[in-house]
Amino acid sequence: MSAALWSRTNAGSFRVAMLAMAGVGLLVAALPVLVIVIMSFSGDAGLEFPPRSLSLRWYSSAFDVLRGEGSDSTVSAFEAMTTSFMVGAVTMIASVLACVPLAYALVRSTGRWRHGVQLLFTLPLVFPLVVLGVAYLLLAETLAQRTGVELGLWRLAIPHIALALPFVLRNCLSAMQGVGRDLEEAAMSLGASPLRAAVDVVVPLMKPGILAGLIFAFIISFNEFTVSFFMYTIDVRTLPIWMYSRTVSSLDPTTLAISTLIIGLDVALIAWVDKLVAGKGRLF
Amino acid sequence: MSAQTPHLEIRGLTKRFGAVDALADIDLGIARGEFVCLLGPSGCGKTTLLRIIAGFEKADRGHLLLEGKDITELPPHQRGFGMVFQSLALFPHMTVAENIGYGMKLRGTAAAQRRRRVEELLEVVQLPAIADRPVAALSGGQRQRVAIARALAVPPQLFLLDEPLSALDAQLRDSMQIELRQLQQRFGVTTVVVTHDQTEAMMLADRLVVMKQGRLQQCDTPTEVYRRPANAFVAEFLGAANLLPGVVQADGAVNVLGAHVGASSRLAAGSAVTLAVRAEDVRLQAVGAASAPHVVGDIEFVRDLGPLAELIVRCGDERLRCRSADAPLREARVGQKVAVHFDAQRCSVFPAAHA
Amino acid sequence: MQTATTSGAALVTRRADARRPALTAAMPSASPRASPRVSPRKRATLLLVLPAVVLLLPFLAAVLFILRYSVSAESQAINGWSLAHYGALFEPFFLRSVLLTLKLATLSTVICMALAVPIAMLMAALAQPVWRRVVTSLVLLPMILNLLIQSYGWMMVLGPTGVANSVLMQAGLIERPLSLLFNEVGVLVGLVQTALPLAVFPVLGAMRVISQEYLEAAGSMGATPWRSFFDVTLPLLKPGLISAASIVFAYNASAFAVPLLLGGRKVQMMGVAIRDMISPMFDWGGAAAAGVALILITLVTMMVATWLATRAVQLKEAR
Repeated sequence: MSAALWSRTNAGSFRVAMLAMAGVGLLVAALPVLVIVIMSFSGDAGLEFPPRSLSLRWYSSAFDVLRGEGSDSTVSAFEAMTTSFMVGAVTMIASVLACVPLAYALVRSTGRWRHGVQLLFTLPLVFPLVVLGVAYLLLAETLAQRTGVELGLWRLAIPHIALALPFVLRNCLSAMQGVGRDLEEAAMSLGASPLRAAVDVVVPLMKPGILAGLIFAFIISFNEFTVSFFMYTIDVRTLPIWMYSRTVSSLDPTTLAISTLIIGLDVALIAWVDKLVAGKGRLF
Repeated sequence: MSAQTPHLEIRGLTKRFGAVDALADIDLGIARGEFVCLLGPSGCGKTTLLRIIAGFEKADRGHLLLEGKDITELPPHQRGFGMVFQSLALFPHMTVAENIGYGMKLRGTAAAQRRRRVEELLEVVQLPAIADRPVAALSGGQRQRVAIARALAVPPQLFLLDEPLSALDAQLRDSMQIELRQLQQRFGVTTVVVTHDQTEAMMLADRLVVMKQGRLQQCDTPTEVYRRPANAFVAEFLGAANLLPGVVQADGAVNVLGAHVGASSRLAAGSAVTLAVRAEDVRLQAVGAASAPHVVGDIEFVRDLGPLAELIVRCGDERLRCRSADAPLREARVGQKVAVHFDAQRCSVFPAAHA
Repeated sequence: MQTATTSGAALVTRRADARRPALTAAMPSASPRASPRVSPRKRATLLLVLPAVVLLLPFLAAVLFILRYSVSAESQAINGWSLAHYGALFEPFFLRSVLLTLKLATLSTVICMALAVPIAMLMAALAQPVWRRVVTSLVLLPMILNLLIQSYGWMMVLGPTGVANSVLMQAGLIERPLSLLFNEVGVLVGLVQTALPLAVFPVLGAMRVISQEYLEAAGSMGATPWRSFFDVTLPLLKPGLISAASIVFAYNASAFAVPLLLGGRKVQMMGVAIRDMISPMFDWGGAAAAGVALILITLVTMMVATWLATRAVQLKEAR
């Protein structure tokens, strides 16, 4: 369906109705985020909309909190934020390191096993997150009971990696498909071993896709709530979980400021991914 | 040439893809410094053969020997061959200099020396100033030369090219053919080129290897292959040839088109044969002035192409393609009668079902 | 047997049987190569695939673990075999939860699809890449952003002093604030919003495949845009709509964060019920069984949808 066709065949009431519905839909999609962003700049103490004055006080309060001052819970915001970043870093590095060779094998080999493997790696996508959280929790607890092994950060990193793998693999596959086999053969004809050819030719040409995968994995991990909710402990929790425990009682504007900062980070990262992947098929 | 060990020897090479024989029992010897062209229609196995020589495919049976040493199992990156791919396969993320210098870099050559060699090669391929340009900024002809320079940077044992000029436009292709031949002569490197273009093969090769459906048809100098094709397929593949059914007479003459028109054969009398005669070897004369034994035919089509006239003459059931530089023929008209005969030296006669 | 004949100066290679025996003695046999037990190629491939599989193992282990736990005879450990946990699912508490889940999932799916089709049409119709990317980003937001943050937003929109109520009261449409939060309405809104991207992109993909010619043909025969839409576009979109709807349904049926954050204690969808079984109830076996039940529901939905979709495609092609 093209733009030209749209204007020619859809006129009058149909177009109005469709645009209106689309507008409602987009509003629903964007409304919560817009409200948060606006309210975080509010100068009032209460949470009434629209704000009667604008100010940055909640941001300065947010920075204080994030630096760890005035913390009243066992884990400060600073620690939670650090944990979020570390788990995110582990997730992105591990999933990319695993997916690049996997993508290479999937694209360059032949054989029916490939379909099975690709199916296997889409499983985490279709699995209900709640059940995944429960499953990992049971596994981790039983492990702790029977062997006394405490996983620390890995309690969160391991599930996050599983959630990120399908997306990272998809990115790496499309990056890999852009590198022709003849380039590798040319490198080999010049004396490069297959491994050397992969490192000198294939990986550099996959760079944008790999980078996109890294960022995407980080975004997924950083924003993850459901599974982290089941897996967190007294000592190890991510920023979203920290925010949750703070706001169970009430919602205060400082949290909104923090939220806006997170939104800003997410938007910037997604824009970066978009630029890297530009045109070469989308994430979905 | 003495019976010394050929530079590259191919013995009994066989390759199957599923139920199809891509290559059936190929035997071939290539001398040092020789320029060999593998020629044939698509699917004849020429590219497969080249890729097996390069090491990117493995034969099911047979051996490859380089100066007597068996290299059949050697992985491609240890063979020391230089290859130009059909797509050229220039590394898009490297500059021209980095592409050409890659082989040397792998061997640990110092940067300064690499640079010197790169510039030397660029001079040879007549692209002096482009060493630091990214590959994407080059034109088709320039990329072609960079690919060649890259393959020759570290002097290779064998120079392999897979349809190297197919992506160029006609004019560029013609000049590149000449350059490629000159380059090869200058470097003296043993070369194997795959092509489906008969003219290109004639232009480049010391020896033509004509292939069909995985088998060698003929392996000879271009002139020999052209003048004395081994069978009807080769005759037809190299230049417009007319293939006519005929019968051997008691005296050895071959009757074609119902008459003896100059060809003869040593096959048994009564054998069915196919006679191949090229368009330019069909002699046409005015009916009254005919000298040699001939057959009369009607002109069906005539066109003045500049240096030659192209005609189609119908004799009985057969339509003959003819090409001639004779002035009177250019003015011939459709429907005119003409005397047709063949120069016996220029005909080839093959047993009939032997295509 | 192939002979390559030459003449003149070129080298001759003829199948001279006299030469063969001496040479074959010095060379490996000319018969087909015996391949090593595991070819180096296969070994290399295995090595390449291994890291990713290793990373996925905990996932697979967790899945198997929960399956095993659900049939354990005990509630807090894996011991013995019993279907008691599954039996316990049939008590009113859980059944009510299942029904609620199905109801909310269905409602949210319907609304999602109703909004997704116009959005997809808008996106397909946008000519300029700039606008396309803006709208795409807007649609993607619910997918990327933290569920927690989004529920904050809804709290402020749907709360008694929130945007919705303020606007409605100022417009004079209501006198007292509507209770939109911490009940099924709030949860429904949240479900629709978070699943919207999942609905839009498949529909968009299906829409792009529809040939313009169908719509042009309808138009040339006098169909108004409304009729074209209902008679041509929708039926052609059917398989895409069905699969998108099944994805949305499965996703919303398994929702946890949305009912937790926007439903107060009142909206016990299956996800929340499962969590309650873990803590405070410590009925791990029960939670496992409930989890498996949830998986089954999503699985059945997907299978039914696939079956429906293939039937729709077959009918389409039969015509």
